[in-house]
Amino acid sequence: MRLVIAEDLFLLREGLVRLLEAHGFEIAAAVDSAPALLEALLEHKPDASVVDVRLPPSFTDDGLRAAIEARRQIPGLPVLVLSQYVEQLYARELLADQAGAVGYLLKDRVFNDDRFADAIRTVAAGGTVMDPEVVAKLMGRRARDEPITRLTAREREVLKLMAEGRSNSAIAQRLFISEKAVGKHSTSIFTKLDLAPSTDDNRRVLAVLAFLNS
Amino acid sequence: MGHAEGMYIGLLVVAGVALLAWRWRAVKSWAERVAWRPYREAGLLVGLLILAFCVVSLLTSNSPWAATVVVPVTVWLIFCTPQTVRRLAPVAMVVGGVVGVALTASRVSAPATYAGPGQGEWASAVAARYESWRAALLLESVVFLAVGCWLMWRARAQAATSVRRPRWGLLLPLAVAGVVLLVNQQEGHAAVTAAAALAGAALLIAILFPTVSADLAAVAVAALGLFSLIDVVTPPRGVAGAFAVTPGGTPQGPLYGAIDRPVVMLAAVECGAILALGAWLLPRTIGTHAKVLLGREADAELVGRVQQLTQTRAVAVDTAAAELRRVERDLHDGAQARLVALGMSLRAAERLIPTSPQAAIALVAEARDSSSKALTELRDLVRGMYPPVLADRGLADAVQALALDTPVRTETDIDLPGWLEQPVEAACYFAIAEALTNAVKHSGGRLVQIRIRHAGRPAPGVLRIEVTDNGTGGADPANGSGLLGVERRLATFDGILAVSSPVGGPTIIVMEIPCALSSRRTSSC
Repeated sequence: MRLVIAEDLFLLREGLVRLLEAHGFEIAAAVDSAPALLEALLEHKPDASVVDVRLPPSFTDDGLRAAIEARRQIPGLPVLVLSQYVEQLYARELLADQAGAVGYLLKDRVFNDDRFADAIRTVAAGGTVMDPEVVAKLMGRRARDEPITRLTAREREVLKLMAEGRSNSAIAQRLFISEKAVGKHSTSIFTKLDLAPSTDDNRRVLAVLAFLNS
Repeated sequence: MGHAEGMYIGLLVVAGVALLAWRWRAVKSWAERVAWRPYREAGLLVGLLILAFCVVSLLTSNSPWAATVVVPVTVWLIFCTPQTVRRLAPVAMVVGGVVGVALTASRVSAPATYAGPGQGEWASAVAARYESWRAALLLESVVFLAVGCWLMWRARAQAATSVRRPRWGLLLPLAVAGVVLLVNQQEGHAAVTAAAALAGAALLIAILFPTVSADLAAVAVAALGLFSLIDVVTPPRGVAGAFAVTPGGTPQGPLYGAIDRPVVMLAAVECGAILALGAWLLPRTIGTHAKVLLGREADAELVGRVQQLTQTRAVAVDTAAAELRRVERDLHDGAQARLVALGMSLRAAERLIPTSPQAAIALVAEARDSSSKALTELRDLVRGMYPPVLADRGLADAVQALALDTPVRTETDIDLPGWLEQPVEAACYFAIAEALTNAVKHSGGRLVQIRIRHAGRPAPGVLRIEVTDNGTGGADPANGSGLLGVERRLATFDGILAVSSPVGGPTIIVMEIPCALSSRRTSSC
């Protein structure tokens, strides 16, 4: 699986390259600025990319903007965005095109390299991976009169894990229920959020988006 | 002449009210900038004089003219008296309105029964004037009564102190100008009338448009008083003219009689008072400015500004120092301690590797956990100092992100066509964050609305932020230091904070900060 990595700090960039190579990824390019990232993404069309939000030249959200721009030109280009902090606002912007294949994680999540590699694979396969902190913030909200409040506690749990990018079997394992039950819950979630029948992957993306927009 | 006079007054009142409402902000800032005290004291004097005259007139005759002053006197008294008396404003207005209506409706004696000197043609002219005056006064009194009732109704849930100063108290000069014009309508004196009217207009312009200095207003008041006084007291129609008699001893003056005497005397007293007010104001405006210009006296405005800046600078320095102390403490107790623990875990693991690798692995996992926690703490610290999304995107998006993270439904309506300076942006962000926290914690509301607008005028521009919640209200900025801190922080940028939170809600927090928008991102560092 070919990756493009964008990170401006040399040590972190080298660390990421080494870690991902150890997990069997092939690094097509490792760049240190937003313009170079956009160029690399358009040129290599990688299976997935790992992008730091804050990059030169302006050291604000250049990485995020470059990733969104690349996805505008190549719809559905898999991007996993890393950041020192997570904002729902940015998560919404990433998901706004509804094409999926998006991840948004805190940099600390790299510590758990197995989960991190899984996240990259999920994104590459068209899934969505949201940081547990984003999800926790969403769960922290209350008293909002939106479709999301129609979900039962169990369905919310399933949606939460779905947003974190876990597969049905992983969700089943985590909640100590059968995979069939997870499937039932997710169908119920899709119905309650008024999501039209389509491929399961796409509906998962839309469910997460509805969740974020709630 | 007929009802035309009443029309004039009605139109003047309506135009005056409209002008004042339109330029109210300017009027207020003008009133704050000039030394207001002389106006108030002199105004009180005028009010008391007229009131005394009014009472005497009411007690001694059946004259309707007393009614003409009931309304403006009440307004003037309310406008000029101290805060404690002003609490009774709505009640006084209702009483004044009722008295005005009653007087105009009942106490005006029918001109047909008039049997004094100068009957015939003159009597019918007086009758016509009666009618127009009655109409005007009735209108005035009814408006007054209505405003009084409205104020009482509005103030029902609030403390009496929150009654605002009636804006249209400023209309008295206009009313006086109207009276002067009316007195002059009878005949001649065109030049004096025009001068008085112009002086009145100049006064109003000076009040309404703050760019015109207070000096002009003072000159205008004095000129208006002087011209009017001369006009009122000189023959053939003034005080002297009113009592003129023929060489044979027969009363000849058109105003000789029980009815018009009070109004002429009233006009004379009013004009005298206006002149006195002008004379009082002159040394306090032109005199002070001249002294400042000549360098004999410090500019009071500048002195005040220096004091304010000294104060806000001290607050800013204190705030910055406290913030640094907090950061130091947080780093010391948080991330630093975690890093020490991490180092120790790693060292212990290093020793354990040859003897018991299982225990070493557990320690390494612990170290990893420790580094994760240190990162979390650092992240929270950074967010408290300068939120990353604010640094990345500016105020509009940062507030949007804040709204998304708020547990209560929060709607934003932000229109900022440019960038703010970063220190202002940070102050605004934390102010909004504080207001939101209060709304979530204390209001019990289910919806918070944030509205941000920037106006280009007055230069350099004003940023206006409104945070409204539909909770139970009753928020008091003096109670609990959160909003007080915000107010102090905004004061560093000459910003202000106002809270309206009646019991039962809603709570509205308005912040205004003078600042410019730039087309590019600017940084002060």
